Amino acid sequence: MLFNTRTERYFVWVFFPLALLMPLFLEQNTFYVSKLTTVMIFAIFVMSLDYLVGRCGLITLGHAMFYGLGGYIFVMIAPEYEAVNFWVYTFYICAIAAVVALVIGFLVLRTSGIYMIMITLAFAQMTYYYFSDSLDFGGNDGVFIYVKPDTSIFGLSLFDLDNPTHFYYLCLLSLFNTLFFFRLVIRSRFGRVIDSIQENPGRTTALGYNVFIFRLIAYTLASALGAYAGYLFTLQYGFVNPSMLAWTTSGSALVMSILGGIGTIYGAILGAVVYEGLHFSLEHLTEHWLLFMGALIILMVILFKNGIAGYLEKLLERRA
Amino acid sequence: MTTSLFFVQLINGLQYGLLLFLIASGLTLVFGVMGILNLAHGSMYMVGAYLAWYFVQQTGSFTLSALISAVIALLIGIVVERTLIQRLYRRNHLDQVLLTIGMIFVFNALQSILWGNDPLGVQVPEAMSSAIPLTEVVEYPVYRIFVALVCVAIAFVMYYMINRTRLGMLIRAGESNREMVECLGIDISRLYTIVFAIGVMLAAIAGVIAAPMSSIVPGMGEHVLIACFVVVVIGGMGSIKGAFIGALLVGLVDTFASVLLPQLSSMMIYILMAFILLIKPQGLFSS
Amino acid sequence: METNKQLLRTLLAGAVAATLCIPALADNAEPIKVGVMLPFSGIYAALGDAGRNGLKMALKEHEAELHGRRIEFIEMDTEAKPERAPEIASALLDQHHANFIIGPVHSGVAMGMIKVLKDKDTIMIIPNAGANAATGPLCAPNIFRTSFSAWQPSYPMGKVALDSAYKRVVTMSWNYGMGRESLEAFKESYTAGGGEIVKEILVPFPKTEFQSYLSEIGSINPDAVFVFFAGGGAVKFVKDYDALGLKGKIPLLGSGFLTEGTTSAQGPSAEGIKTTLHYADGLDNSVNTKFRQDYLQMFGKEADIYAVQGYDAGLLIAKAVDKLGGDISDQAALIQAMESTTLLSPRGEVSFSKAHNPIQNIYLREVVDGVNKVIDVPAAKLEDPARGCKL
Repeated sequence: MLFNTRTERYFVWVFFPLALLMPLFLEQNTFYVSKLTTVMIFAIFVMSLDYLVGRCGLITLGHAMFYGLGGYIFVMIAPEYEAVNFWVYTFYICAIAAVVALVIGFLVLRTSGIYMIMITLAFAQMTYYYFSDSLDFGGNDGVFIYVKPDTSIFGLSLFDLDNPTHFYYLCLLSLFNTLFFFRLVIRSRFGRVIDSIQENPGRTTALGYNVFIFRLIAYTLASALGAYAGYLFTLQYGFVNPSMLAWTTSGSALVMSILGGIGTIYGAILGAVVYEGLHFSLEHLTEHWLLFMGALIILMVILFKNGIAGYLEKLLERRA
Repeated sequence: MTTSLFFVQLINGLQYGLLLFLIASGLTLVFGVMGILNLAHGSMYMVGAYLAWYFVQQTGSFTLSALISAVIALLIGIVVERTLIQRLYRRNHLDQVLLTIGMIFVFNALQSILWGNDPLGVQVPEAMSSAIPLTEVVEYPVYRIFVALVCVAIAFVMYYMINRTRLGMLIRAGESNREMVECLGIDISRLYTIVFAIGVMLAAIAGVIAAPMSSIVPGMGEHVLIACFVVVVIGGMGSIKGAFIGALLVGLVDTFASVLLPQLSSMMIYILMAFILLIKPQGLFSS
Repeated sequence: METNKQLLRTLLAGAVAATLCIPALADNAEPIKVGVMLPFSGIYAALGDAGRNGLKMALKEHEAELHGRRIEFIEMDTEAKPERAPEIASALLDQHHANFIIGPVHSGVAMGMIKVLKDKDTIMIIPNAGANAATGPLCAPNIFRTSFSAWQPSYPMGKVALDSAYKRVVTMSWNYGMGRESLEAFKESYTAGGGEIVKEILVPFPKTEFQSYLSEIGSINPDAVFVFFAGGGAVKFVKDYDALGLKGKIPLLGSGFLTEGTTSAQGPSAEGIKTTLHYADGLDNSVNTKFRQDYLQMFGKEADIYAVQGYDAGLLIAKAVDKLGGDISDQAALIQAMESTTLLSPRGEVSFSKAHNPIQNIYLREVVDGVNKVIDVPAAKLEDPARGCKL
């Protein structure tokens, strides 16, 4: 079976149907639809990071670089006042991001552990300062996207990106596909090699696999998906800003991925929903939301050993 | 660049580097001995600066304020280690990252509640408010020379402590083989508490002595945090000597880049770090 | 022990779940809704606090002019993060249906807000962010600004520098929109009058290690230095300028934010610095005197420019609501009422240009005993050129 724990199956069966029906309940309030869309987009980003960190053992603090690039590549290559095709540009953006990831991965994957965290951060910071200092793409104030792409395939247009509900479904579909995609990857031969690398790189090399190449492919895959998430985020409000590339973005994604349950993939959704939900509720409750947010995070690390997914699994799997 | 300007910039770079060393030393010590990745280290620097301001207001004396702040920081270190950090020794680095990010939130919120958000300033102590002329226009304040000397002195004390004292011997032993130290009947958990508290105190002392020459503002901790990590990683995690060399390198590169390569100056320390890690993937002096 | 821990875990899970349910319980009464989008944490928090204080004070003071309509504030912390701006703006617009949205401080956040709020059914009032574009190419009928355009405070300083016979000037700021636009405005009037900019230094934002740049300025030895810095960076810059011995040898000029809300932290280092701004705490008029007294009493600290700008945002709302007799349902009428309002602000009279940017006096100030004393009015009723605005 594709989803291999009972918890994950429950989760998928509860979350996706619920998310599918959600816009019906929120019809009168478009904001919640947009908010959920943002959370789902970020969940895609967190999921790609979770695969790298949890499944490949490659801890990066520079993943936001690809998130931001997803937006900036679009700004660079798309004409300003003309609607382009969404799917074609999805391909372009993922391909360009993958090439960038290949080059950077080639350099950074020689290091490991804390050194890898820092060298990925270094490259992300360089990109951040490039877009923040250079005047070509709006500098520190960011840049607007005036025309949204259209989504027709062979003349059939399924989603109107200017309609928040349509955009919501596009993102939900993307989120599901990403989860599905990673599950397939993990189950494949490639995925099993990656698992064995994380278990014991030395032994995997002895079996004749080139560990570096496998890691590089995984890094490229995850980075391209990260860029896709950034592309969606950019399209949602039509606004790109260098702060998408800042290390704090990588940091929040890492927090959500650990909070959700590192390496579980579906935990990324849990982490993103809970973190963003807590943030949203607490900031409506009190000006000192940071205090409660921090305290809750501390409590959750101490009490939940493997994140929220770990806690749920402990509850649900016991009886199995 | 004229020769005199070159020397002035050299002093600027060294002084900035020495201060970076002081902040980063606690970080590398804690990582080297305990294997703990403390992202809240920058917050301790911030706490030090705010404490310095508060006690200067209360007592009127900078020296007294510095002493009280150092003691409070030591206590904070002990409490944090005993209540939180201790629970995570057997967990992986990622849980430590999450825990210490939670701590950053809490410290930032407490700062805002206790001291407000306005920028604050501490005046340079009267005895050191004079300056030495360097060129026709530029002077060098005595206080900044004093700060540089304090940083050098602390570097020496740390070096001596680790290489010559019993505590240092235990630290070195704990670094290389935790189980063995435990077998010898030494209370490793107490050793860890001491080391963590010293790490926190070093960051706070850096905050205290930096206070008169900087502005005390919300978020100042995160700003130095990244620079600290760059320093520590360049030098090799856990190596005090590496942190010292790394800090001077970062200080000098940052200073000269801002004058000679203004277009690249924002990226320069990251380019330096990436370059060093590509050649030496474990930093310059990793153990 | 283990059961205790299990209990704790369940409690924590319950608490988290309960918190997540809170947004669903929001109520829906019919007061005037004022969304506040300012930074309450992070490096701009002090500016956000002051703006909010001023806003609340104005609306409380002018309660009588609201024709019995209650004001409901919805406060959101922007954390000065531009990437979150569109989301928060749409929360205030679509979830809370705010009639007015006040914000932000940071120009990048302003861009994100404008993207969402432009031409929508709400009024955006900018109480600080100075990006020229907001009342330039991006201007819109429903966007007002009660603060300044980056061009305004710095442009008159060029003339001041020329009048003081400074022939060679070094300019310096952070490398971001507000900084660059301030330096350009200064350059525009200064070079037009024959002055020479010897060097323009752009420091990566938000770096505050100024020592190497100051040493370089010392070696150039210009007639004066013109800078834009604000908040914590301004404190550090002024202290460094003094510590490295430049103060007293090379006059320091600045856009007034250099000494706003920062003089007590800067201490004696700030004495004698000359800046231009649309306000001065030492401004001698009855509105300002009363404003400063009341502010000190209400919030226990001295008011600064950020408080004044927030106050004027509140004042603008109150005046417009008063003109319409409390009925603000017609957006066109509301915009009309706001456009035609002249505010009796602590900074003097303020009216609005076609692009909805304030037309205001710019004062030349000098720091004396920690207070910005007015020494001249180099530009009276200065209007932003609003380049690129088609209103």
